[in-house]
Order: sequence, then C-alpha cells, then structure tokens
Amino acid sequence: MLKEPIKLNMNEVPYPPPQEVIEAAQKGLAKLNRYADPEDLGRLRGLLAGYSGVLEEHVVLSPGSDILLREVIHTFSKGRKVIIVSPSFFPTVQAAKQFATKLVSLRLSPPEFDLDLDLLMDELKEACLVIVDNPNNPTGKILLHRQAVEAIIESTDTLLVVDEAYYEFSGVTFADMVHDRPNLAVTRTMDKAFSLAGARIGYIIAGEAFGDAFSSFYAFLPQPSLYAAIEALNHPDYVRRNVQRVVEERERVWRILNELAVHVCQSTTNFLLVKTEIPDIVKRLRDIGILVLDLSNQLPSGFVRVSIGTGEENNAFIAGYIKIREAYLNGTQMNVGLRG
Amino acid sequence: MKNIVGLIVNPVAGMGGSVGLKGTDGETYKKALELGAQPVTPRRTNDCLSRIESKDDITLFVAPGKMGEEYVEAFDMLFTVIGAVGEETSAEDTKRIAAEMVNRGVELLIFAGGDGTARDIYDAIDSKVPVVAVPSGVKIFSSVFAVSARAAAEMVDAFVEGTDVTEEEVLDIDEEAFREDRLASRLYGYLLVPNVRRFLQPGKAASNVSVSSIESKKEIAAYVVEEMDQETLYLLGPGTTLEAIAAEMEVPKTLLGIDAVFGGELVGTDLNEKGILGLFERYGKRKIIVTPIGGNGFIFGRGSKQFTPEVIERVGRENIVVVGTRDKLNRLDCLRVDTGDFELDELLCGYMEVTVGYKEGMMVKVRC
Repeated sequence: MLKEPIKLNMNEVPYPPPQEVIEAAQKGLAKLNRYADPEDLGRLRGLLAGYSGVLEEHVVLSPGSDILLREVIHTFSKGRKVIIVSPSFFPTVQAAKQFATKLVSLRLSPPEFDLDLDLLMDELKEACLVIVDNPNNPTGKILLHRQAVEAIIESTDTLLVVDEAYYEFSGVTFADMVHDRPNLAVTRTMDKAFSLAGARIGYIIAGEAFGDAFSSFYAFLPQPSLYAAIEALNHPDYVRRNVQRVVEERERVWRILNELAVHVCQSTTNFLLVKTEIPDIVKRLRDIGILVLDLSNQLPSGFVRVSIGTGEENNAFIAGYIKIREAYLNGTQMNVGLRG
Repeated sequence: MKNIVGLIVNPVAGMGGSVGLKGTDGETYKKALELGAQPVTPRRTNDCLSRIESKDDITLFVAPGKMGEEYVEAFDMLFTVIGAVGEETSAEDTKRIAAEMVNRGVELLIFAGGDGTARDIYDAIDSKVPVVAVPSGVKIFSSVFAVSARAAAEMVDAFVEGTDVTEEEVLDIDEEAFREDRLASRLYGYLLVPNVRRFLQPGKAASNVSVSSIESKKEIAAYVVEEMDQETLYLLGPGTTLEAIAAEMEVPKTLLGIDAVFGGELVGTDLNEKGILGLFERYGKRKIIVTPIGGNGFIFGRGSKQFTPEVIERVGRENIVVVGTRDKLNRLDCLRVDTGDFELDELLCGYMEVTVGYKEGMMVKVRC
C-alpha cells in the first residue's frame, strides 16, 4: 500500500507549476490582508485576452469557471429552455437542474457518445440556452466543430456557451468567433494545463448578448492565485510542455489498456473514459491506493474516468488494474467450480 | 470444420403476454390457450435463424417437432433431430434434449424461450457449452438473453468466427408472486455466452428506492398529470414510476400490469390486449405512458407484452409518453424496443423525449 493515494480522479495535471509561479504565489501571500488590486486584475484580464486572441472587453474573471457557468444558467434560463448534454461536467448539470424552468438533456449514448446535431437543431425552435462541454467531460470527445457552432448560433434567440476547460489538450476553440457572434460564449480555466487547480482561476470569453450577466459581475480573486496566474501567463512554455507530456502519457496508457483488451475511449483531454466488467472497480482500486472517478451516477455500470498522472502513477494504475483483474477472474473461476 | 450447433425452442414461451398472464409456467399455459393466445416463439426463432450469416459453417442438431425441427425445415440447412417428444411438451423435454445434445458434441446451444427456459437449460448443461438465448418469454429478467432475435443471430455468427465466451446471469422470478404484483427475483445460476456484450440484455436492476428517487417520481408524476388532457384515454404501463403517476391522480395501479384512465377516472384494470382494444372502441384519443423497466431499458417488449404491435400502432409513436428518473436513464445505454414486429421496432427507433422531472426532459436514443 502506498502512503499517499495516487489521485487520478480530479483531472488535475500531476506536474507542479514552475518555481517562479510558486514564488509569485508566495508574494501574493504577503498581501493576504488586502483585497486584490484592480490594476492587477486588469493585468490578468489583459494577459488572458492576449493568450486567447480576443479583445479584453470580452473577458470576465472568476475563481473557477464553474461559477461562471452557474451565473450564466442562473441569469439566462429565465424564459429560455436550457439544453445540456448528458453526461456532462457535473456542476453544469446541477446548476441546470436547480435554475432551469425547462430543461432538456441530450443523451450521449455509448459506445460512440456522439452528439446528434440534427436533434439539437430540432430543439432550437424556441429561445434556448445551450451549454456544451467541448471536449466533453467525462467522455473526452469533441462534440462540436466550427460548422456546428455556426449553425447553432445562427438563430439569435439561441445563446450558446461552450465549456473549453480542456482546450489546451484538444486544440479546439471557438474563442475567436466571439467578437462578431454576440450569442456565443466560451468558458475556460487555468486549473488544468497551467497546473493551477489549487489557484482556481476561471474566465469566460463572452459575446455581447451575455453582457447583462456580467456587467455587475466583479470577482475579487485571492492574491496568491492572481499573482500565480499573471506569472504563469508570462511563462507559457511550461504549459506547452505540460500538454505534451500529458498527451504522450495519455496515448501510452490508452495503447496499453487497448492491448489488455480494456474498453477505453479515445480522448482529447487529460483523462480517459474506461469501461470495465470488474464490479466495484473504484473501490478495488481505492483499496490499493489509487483514486479514479466513479461514473455510476451518470453512465451505465462499469464506466470510470481515469485522469492522466505521471508515468509512475500511470504505471501503478495499470499494474493495479491487471492485478485486480487477475484476482477477479480467478475468483470467478473458483465460483464456477463451486457451483458445478 | 463445421461447428455443431443445437437448437431448442420452448413452443409455449411468451404466450401469456398478449393475454396479460405474466408467464406460462405450469397450468397458466392452458389458461393462455383458453384466452386465445398465439405462439410467439416460431416468429422469434425464424427471425434468428434467417439472420444467421454463417449457416454454411454450421451443422445443426435440433429438438423434434415444434421444439425445433419445424422451424429449420424452411431453411436450406442440414440438420439432425435429437430425441423425441409427445404431443404436449414440458420442461423435462427441454432438460433431457439439452443434456443429450451436449453428450452428442454440440458446441453451442441456441434456445428460444423466457427465464423459465433458461433455468431448465442451466439445470441440464450448466457451463458445459455456451448458449445463445433468443428472447421469447413474457418476463425476461436474465442477462443471458440477447436483446433481440436479430442480436442473437449476430452472437451465433460471432461464435462461429471464434469469439471467446463470458458468463451471464440466469434469473427467475416467482410467477405466482408476479401475478400478485410482487416482484421476487433471484439469481439461479450462470450460463456461458459468446462474448459480444453490446448484444446482451443488461441484468434487471432492482428499482432504486432512495428518497431522491421517490421525489423524482413525484416530480415526474406532477408534471405528467398537469399535462394530461381530460379527453384522452391514458394507458399506464407497469412500474413504480407509473404507480407514482396513478397516485398523483388518486387512482389505484396494478404494479406490473396495464391500467387505463380517462378524465381522471380509472376505466380499466390489469388489461390484456383484448381489453385495451375494447377501450379503443370507446375512446378515440389515446396515449400510452411507459417507463423502462428495471435495468433493461426496454419500453416495449419486456414485462408489458399486452402492448402488442397492434395496440402500439393504433396509438401511434407520437402518442407514446416515456417517463423515468434521471438516475435510471443515466444507467442505461439507450432505450430499447422489441415488440416482435421489426417494422414497428424500426419505426419506434430514433430519439424519444423522456420526462425525467418537472418540466425536465432527456432526449434518449431508442434502439432495436
């Protein structure tokens, strides 16, 4: 048994941020008696606008993109049908259930987990707020392409929010469309590729139609987070390295699982959707110190989401899985013998 | 070298469904006949056999007469009849012939029937050879069954191609309890099946009885009842979600049967096909409200065979209301139909909106 559990359940990047980012956060700690300086907030906003290739006026900051998604649903679900996909980022589902006066979930069916665009277009006959995580969490699939986004936002009665939390891994973004598409918004986070999950920096790149929701939305960010985020954006090379290492590891784990005849979906993120026939796999892995996400509340039994860790962590997961599978198969054979 | 494949058909399986008898175990079979029930296994068996692509690679051993022989005569296949049966067939015939087939070297056994038949096959052959189970019973709770006769044919082909095998459950429920609206299921054993998981029927899950599930059903019921039209006949299918709708309307509900309401009043209880068609003479506007039963995802074809193809066709796809809790829907790959009429099944396929809460829907794919 390992001392510390191997955390492959939260889609964090396993590599810590570079030393200068940590030192910047420490500088922020020295200012904990003060609220964040508006100038610093403006600086971060400008850096994120530059990083995303959009105008600063479209960028709104928040301690976590889930808060922004919640705000959008809260504000724009009045008089609109809310359309989400299922499964989806769980806080989005929760907020939609809480605030929507009319909610339609479009089920992504295994094994393909495709979004049926015709079905979605059929639903857009009345004023709608559509929220799609792209890539989808937990399937790791790209659900929307540019042409689909164009088609959805053609109707000005429709507001489309694309959650791009894993954009750096997928490389697919619609942020550049926001400046002339008022009814489109994109949410992003620095939690993942920037190795800043503990800092909780989220942002939305919103078209003009969303202006009402955010005209009075002003989030003070914690000083250490703000300083760390600014420093991180000054050193974007480490983000590229992070992404490269995670993608290489993801593909390696995917290949090995495939060779082991485990059903695992292709992913464009830093996690893999795995289908297993071993009952209670989440508990069995936890018992040997490996944490993965149980998806039994969102998908048919046997699906788990496994975040990509370091090479060593991933090897531990694979070795643990093989060991559990062997034990399970031996146990099954023993049962057969007993029944016979 | 050809694969030796056996075929055993339970000729009375599924006959209780259209007359509302919830099974044909024991003496109930005679009651089904008196009520005018027609055999359903010939069509299912035929559907399966006609879709097997690897016929040339198979040597067939079949049970005699209506237990197998009669159905293979229509196909250009060589077959050997195993054993003998009398005028009336029984579970003992199934067991004896299955055991004999295994002794004669059968490598795969196809059988058509319901949970009772699966139980008999298990008693006879245990894990000695794999099986392909063609669903034809009234109540099919065992995951050993293929989702449809067509899927069963694909499993036979997969076996011939050399796929490995896996264990699946044989369950049975107490038919006496089932007829008294009590669902008492138990694990009976395991059979081996060709490992083609997507074609299997997921094992029936116990209904979720958590508080949140009860609340969800109340929400669904409140919305469905609010949307009801006083001039429409509503046929309420089996299941606890429909029970919640009946409770919201303050009318009694047969848990595993079909009841009918019109204008807020109960106008039919535990209806069979004849009873439903009788109500159609009196009520022009009709809707069916159904929920996927247990963990199977079937909205038609399992547990509610009183909704025959004729009943469903006369109601129309657009008048089918599907309800179910979000938790239950999340656990399903999709919804499924297996009415016994392929054309109707295909018509029912595609997306359907399932009411999962108050003004809350989920668009879910229906497959057959």
